[in-house]
Amino acid sequence: MVNVFAVQVFFIVFRECLEAVIIVSVLLSFLKQCLGQPHQDQAIYKKLVKQVWVGSILGVGICLIIGGAFIGVFYGLGHDIWSNSEDLWEGIFYLIATIIITIMGLALLRINKTKEQWRIKIAQALIAKSQGHKKSRFLGDWARRYAMFILPLITTLREGVEAVVFVGGVSLGYPATAFPIPVVTGILAGLTVGFFLYRGGNAMSIQLFLIASTCVLYLIAAGMFSKAVWGLQYYRFQLAVGSDVAEEGNGPGSYNIRETVWHVNCCNPETDNGWDVFNAILGWENTGTYGSVISYNIYWLFIMLAVSYMLWEERSGKKTLRERFLGVLVKVPGLKGYAGKKLDVIHQNPDEIMRQVHQGLFNEPAIEQGVEMK
Amino acid sequence: MLFLFVLALLGLCKPLLAKDVVYNFNVSWVTANPDGLADRKVIGINGAWPLPVINVDKGDQLIVHMYNGLGDKNTSIHFHGMYQNGTNDMDGPSMATQCPIPPGSSFTYNFTVNQNGTYWYHCHTDWCYPDGYRQALVVHDSDAYFAGEIEDEFTVTMTDWYHTLAEDIKPEFMSLYNPTGAEPIPNAFLFNDTLDTSLAVKPNKTYMLRLINTGAFVAQYFYIEDHEFTIVEIDGVYTEPTTADILYLGIAQRYSVLVKTKDTATKNYAIVTMADSTLLDTIPSDLRLNLTNWLEYDASASHPEADITVSVSSDLDPFDDSTLVPYDHMPLLTDPVVSINVAVVMANLDNGEGYAFLNNISYTAPKVPTLYTVLSAGDLATNALVYGEFTHSHVLPHNGVVEIILNNNDTGSHPFHLHGHNFQVLQRYPSYGADFFDYASGDPHNYNAATNGTSGFPTYPARRDTLVLPPGGYFVIRFVADNPGVWLFHCHIDWHLMQGLAMTMVEAPDQMQQRLTIPDDHYAACKAAGVKTEGNAAGNDVDFTDLTGQNVQPGWLPAGFTTRGIVALVFSVACAFLGMGSIVLYGLSDLKFVNKDDAIATSAPQEQYHDEQ
Repeated sequence: MVNVFAVQVFFIVFRECLEAVIIVSVLLSFLKQCLGQPHQDQAIYKKLVKQVWVGSILGVGICLIIGGAFIGVFYGLGHDIWSNSEDLWEGIFYLIATIIITIMGLALLRINKTKEQWRIKIAQALIAKSQGHKKSRFLGDWARRYAMFILPLITTLREGVEAVVFVGGVSLGYPATAFPIPVVTGILAGLTVGFFLYRGGNAMSIQLFLIASTCVLYLIAAGMFSKAVWGLQYYRFQLAVGSDVAEEGNGPGSYNIRETVWHVNCCNPETDNGWDVFNAILGWENTGTYGSVISYNIYWLFIMLAVSYMLWEERSGKKTLRERFLGVLVKVPGLKGYAGKKLDVIHQNPDEIMRQVHQGLFNEPAIEQGVEMK
Repeated sequence: MLFLFVLALLGLCKPLLAKDVVYNFNVSWVTANPDGLADRKVIGINGAWPLPVINVDKGDQLIVHMYNGLGDKNTSIHFHGMYQNGTNDMDGPSMATQCPIPPGSSFTYNFTVNQNGTYWYHCHTDWCYPDGYRQALVVHDSDAYFAGEIEDEFTVTMTDWYHTLAEDIKPEFMSLYNPTGAEPIPNAFLFNDTLDTSLAVKPNKTYMLRLINTGAFVAQYFYIEDHEFTIVEIDGVYTEPTTADILYLGIAQRYSVLVKTKDTATKNYAIVTMADSTLLDTIPSDLRLNLTNWLEYDASASHPEADITVSVSSDLDPFDDSTLVPYDHMPLLTDPVVSINVAVVMANLDNGEGYAFLNNISYTAPKVPTLYTVLSAGDLATNALVYGEFTHSHVLPHNGVVEIILNNNDTGSHPFHLHGHNFQVLQRYPSYGADFFDYASGDPHNYNAATNGTSGFPTYPARRDTLVLPPGGYFVIRFVADNPGVWLFHCHIDWHLMQGLAMTMVEAPDQMQQRLTIPDDHYAACKAAGVKTEGNAAGNDVDFTDLTGQNVQPGWLPAGFTTRGIVALVFSVACAFLGMGSIVLYGLSDLKFVNKDDAIATSAPQEQYHDEQ
């Protein structure tokens, strides 16, 4: 099962897909609210909607190509290297995967918050364009005319490349056959949830679904962290023992007794059917070492602390870490522009900027001209 | 009357002619390079290595004054195959019949050699004989039935050879990182402690070759190109002359064979010794498994390398020693009063190292040499308890017939040696031949008296003191407990002895107490080595049944979850649930952003809409 369905790949594709869908849905709902009303020009509205779709599909298409090439090159050139000292590489890859999942996973639970932030970001982008100081008249016009094409193109491209990199990161230890199914199902799941979000489905049940998925995602991550430590320890043991380790199967000698917390002479995920699923989702090994058990527990403690801190941050209204970090960056010459923009998004009053968008943007003649010119 | 007198005189003559043969052995480190590959430290005697061959005539008194000049290592000598009847204290294994002899101590072995044939002597303290401390011991017998035929005789030792001291091999062998217990691979094999030698012979004569495997690990196949030979002795027991062409010598086994030379002296013939490669876990590319030496008819003719026709040693079909008939036609021993049924098992203990077991006991040396426990235990000496659980002792009644059924639950072969006796070989399965390795993988085939039956036992069973136990098979042996003493029964692969593949026979302890007197220098060695000479296996000389503090083998590996494992698992599960709980909490708190969204999504445009109207 693990060889045809890499669970973490599914979750990463799902998450990135969901984010892309949210952006597109935010854009579409903007259009609908501003131009899609019965008294407005349906032709312009439809053209703009079309632009959004074309942009997003093109973005997805490009990053699928990039992703395919990336993974193809990886498996074409590199995979033999890993299989030689499997446990060492598995350990390292699991460590990378854990870090990636840990960082991006909790964001899945802030889907509503993300949605709102995207709304602000997009609105800001639109305002910036409509008010923009044009350096190049031609480029500016072009960009403004096709804003509804470029925005989704860039965002889907961004999310897509992110997905490719992450998927690459979490899946280095897997055979190529483990990809297609989780990628396809991940995309389908992302689209479905995104659709319900757009359609204003029951927020509660969507959220419950996301919570359940995130729990599974973190179970996997904790398991991978534990497996990473286990793999590195096992690699060291294997180096010392030589090829005899494999010869021992599950029995004595297949594990380092001095570091063992438990060992059962069965249920080896490498050799016994079924246990590989348990291994992929929960990080099960038939030998628990001090390293793997302690790292598993520490991982969860870390998650609990991280979550408590973030909740406290949100509730107390204190500046977030990110804000503080950006606050520092603003003072650094050269980064002022970059950090400042990000800070603006955070400090923006969402209601205010929304109003600006609704009032200003789509009633502006430039856009309509642009659309008509087409 | 005169006739009778002459007979009596003749009878007396033999012992009267017997002489004392005295050796002074100053044991010390020397450097040797017998394979031309590497200098190494070896244990020499009187500053020389190879060691002197001990030659005695049947009936002689052999006296060896040994001084341990090694400086850093205990030692002792076991005269392999000597019955030592009445002199159990001269047998040599440390912590069984004596104390290890520490550096600077002297020790005299003094016993009568009332037997004939081919033997050897070697160190029997810890694992010292692979360091070179072993050599042939030949008991000449002018009365041997074949004595008249022989032109000359050669003693041939074959051995494996390591470039590393056994004490340095040990930490790598007995290691967490050697869980399979893979035995150390020798660096070379030697023939008479050297290579490329010739035995010079004349045509049309009969020569006797005394073959001894003095190795620590690897059995050897032996044959001579284009020559058959006649087996006349195994392990000191004369046999009916039996023709063979290939022999298999397990560690410590001996054969005497008669070789009739050819009529013409035009060519030299290869004597081939081939290491049993099935014992080796890996075969390094630079390890020479086959050696060629020569039966040299003409020193000026070429000495061609043997043309080896088999790809692996196990393709050779050696002579089955269990079919040999002793020359004395001693009949099958019947009605054993003791039957010991044990199985060879290899397993890991809780320090991760590999151990060898007979049943579930890995021999662990006691704190007091077992012989001294016998002598100090009084009436309790017949109670096996006092010898400690881990010496795996069986007390045998005087003159009773003893049967040992040895099953092999391991996939390797094991040359088992019984001290103080030779034993009748009643049955061995699978015996040498094409099916010898049938159980080398898969389930072992254990002896079952009901089906394997006593009917198949030979009328005149072969007798020897070292017998190879087939992989996954078994053997059944019998002997008469007519030799009061403490006798080890052990695998003669020194690495397996290191792992504890041994047990102890305590034979007629009451007889020992009556007959034996331990010489002072034996006790002096104990004093110098700091070993107690009275008490049970735990060194308790007050309450012999109290074994508190005895040496024990490491603990067994736990079979599954221990408390520690369960606690760890419970903690992990609890942590995972708490962690997921925190994620749920965090996830649910996101719902507060939904309302805001809805407000914007629904109310804002509508307001605007209204405004415009």
